[in-house]
Amino acid sequence: MVTFAIEAKGLHKTFVSGWFRKRIKHALRGVNLSVPEGVFWGLLGPNGAGKTTLLSIIANLLIPEQGEVYVLGEDLRRNAGAVRRRINLSSGHANFLWSLNVRENLEYYAMLYGLSGNERRQRVDDLLALFDLQEFARVRFEELSTGTKQKLSLAKSLVNDPALLLLDEPTVGLDPDVAHRIREAIRRLHRERGTTILMTTHNMKEAETLCERIAFIKDGRIKAVGKPQDLKDELRLGDTISIAFNGTVQAEALRSLQGTYEVQMSDSLCRILVDDHRKRLPQILEFFMGRQIFIHDLRIQESDLEDVFIAYTK
Amino acid sequence: MRMSLSLIQSELTKTRAFVFKNWIMTKRNVFTLFEILFWPLVAFLSVGLLAEFAALQPEMKAFIMIGVISMSAVQVCQLDVAYALLYDVWSKAIKHGFAAPVGIRHLLFGSLIVGILRGGSVFVILVVASYALFGFNFALPGALPIALFVLGLFLSAAMVGIFVCILVLMFGNRAEVAAWSLVSLMLLLCGVYYPVSVLPAWVRVLAEVIPLTYFLEYFRLFYGFPPIFSHVLLKGYVMVIAYLVVEVYAMKAALRRAKRTGLLLKLSE
Repeated sequence: MVTFAIEAKGLHKTFVSGWFRKRIKHALRGVNLSVPEGVFWGLLGPNGAGKTTLLSIIANLLIPEQGEVYVLGEDLRRNAGAVRRRINLSSGHANFLWSLNVRENLEYYAMLYGLSGNERRQRVDDLLALFDLQEFARVRFEELSTGTKQKLSLAKSLVNDPALLLLDEPTVGLDPDVAHRIREAIRRLHRERGTTILMTTHNMKEAETLCERIAFIKDGRIKAVGKPQDLKDELRLGDTISIAFNGTVQAEALRSLQGTYEVQMSDSLCRILVDDHRKRLPQILEFFMGRQIFIHDLRIQESDLEDVFIAYTK
Repeated sequence: MRMSLSLIQSELTKTRAFVFKNWIMTKRNVFTLFEILFWPLVAFLSVGLLAEFAALQPEMKAFIMIGVISMSAVQVCQLDVAYALLYDVWSKAIKHGFAAPVGIRHLLFGSLIVGILRGGSVFVILVVASYALFGFNFALPGALPIALFVLGLFLSAAMVGIFVCILVLMFGNRAEVAAWSLVSLMLLLCGVYYPVSVLPAWVRVLAEVIPLTYFLEYFRLFYGFPPIFSHVLLKGYVMVIAYLVVEVYAMKAALRRAKRTGLLLKLSE
C-alpha cells in the first residue's frame, strides 16, 4: 500500500491586494496532488503558475481558503506543529540573519527545531562537512557568495533531518558549476537518506535529471502528472531523426513504419518524428539501406521536458 | 517522565534560540551599542542638566530622574522583544523562523531575557550616573520596592514589544516605526516628566489604561509624591499581565492572518 508524504485535495488560494482590495489573483484553483513517500517529485510551471504558493501551503506558511492538506499523515489544519517538526524547506535567493556566521545560522535553526547539546553540535558539524562549508563556518552570512548562501540554505533545511524536504528553485541564479554541485548534493541526499523531496524549478534539465515524477501546474491548476518519459509519450512529442541522403525516398512509405508520428521531406533531407528513437532507428536504417539510398548525415534530437513544458504551458 | 524531560529541554532550547539570535545581533551591530549607551545617556544628561539649570527642588529632580531612567530602560528592553521579529524581517528570513516548530512563547521569553539584560544595563548605568552626577539616590525605597518597580518596567516593555510585533505581522515593514515611536507616545501619556494630574481629563483616561502610569506612581510614592490613583501596584500588575495574555492571543491571530493574506511570505521577499 502506498503511503503519501503529501496529499492535497481541492486547494484554493486567492491573494487580494491594492486599494479597496480590488486586485484579485487566483493562485490555486482546486489543486489535487498526491506525493508518495520516498519519491523525488518535481513541480514545474511558468512564473505565477502557483508553484511557490503550493509549496508554502505545505510548509504551513500560507493558509488556503479551501481544501485539505495532509502532510506525512497529519492534517495540516489540526496538527501544524507536528508537521513543522518533520519537514523543512530551502529556497533559491537564500536569506538568513546577516550578522550570524554560517555555523551560528545553522546552530540557530537547529535550536529552533529543539536540538540541544552534543546532538546539535554533531548535526551542525555533519552538515558543514556534507556541503563543504567548513572553511566558511566563521564567515558572516552577508559576506558569503551566492553559491555558498545556497549551500547554507540546503544545509539549514536538513538540520531536523526532515522526512519531507521542500525545495523552491534551489539552483536559481547560480553559475553552472555551483548549480551542478548543488544538484549532486540534492541527488545524494535523496539516494542516501530516502527523503521525500518536492522541488520547483525552471530548469527543465535539472527536473529531468533529478525528478522521478513531475507535476505541471499552470494558472493554479495541475495540468499533468507522471514520469518524465510518460509525459513525453502522452504528448506524442517523440524524438526527431534527421537524415541527409542521396536518392529518392517516398514519404508515404516512411510514414507507414511503426512508431512514426510524422515525416517532413525536402530535396535530400527528411525529418522523421518517432515515438522512441532507440526502438525505431534500426527499422529506419533498414528502410534506407534496403533501397540502397546512401545516408551521409544522421542526427537524433530527443524531446525533453522543455518540449513538454512548452506543450503544457502554451 | 523521560518524555516530559525531553519536552522541557526542547522548550528551553527553542527559547534559547531567540536569546542566541538577539545576543549575537546585539554584539555585532553598532546601532545596538548606541541604544544602550549613547541615546539613554544623551537623554539622561539633557534632562539632568535642565533640572540643574532650573534649580529644581531635590524631590522634583527625583521625579524627573525616575522618569528618564525608567523610560530609557523600557525603550531598550521593548526593542529587543520587537527585534526578535524585526531582525528576521530585515534579513528577509522570517519564513524560515515560522516554518520551524516554535511558538510565540519562545520568541517572547527568549527575546525578553536579552531585553532584560540590555534594559537592565541601561538602568544600572543611569542609576549610577544619576547618583554620581546629580546626587540622586535611586536606592532610597529599598530592595523590594525597586524589584517590584523594575519587574513592572520590564513587563511593560514586553507588552510594548509584542504590540510592535503584532503591528508588523498585520501591516508589514510600514509598522516597524512603531518600535521607536510607541514608547515616545507612552512618554507623553504616562507622566514621565510630569504628574498625570496635569493632563486634560480625556488624555488622563488614556494614561489610566497604561500600566506604566501605575508603576511610576508607585515608585514616586517613596519620594514624597502621593499617587492620584488607588492600589497602583496591584492595578499595574493586573493590567500588564492581562495585556500580555491578550497580546499573545492577538499575535497568534495576527500570524494566522499573515499566513492567510500572504504577508508572511511577502516579508521574506
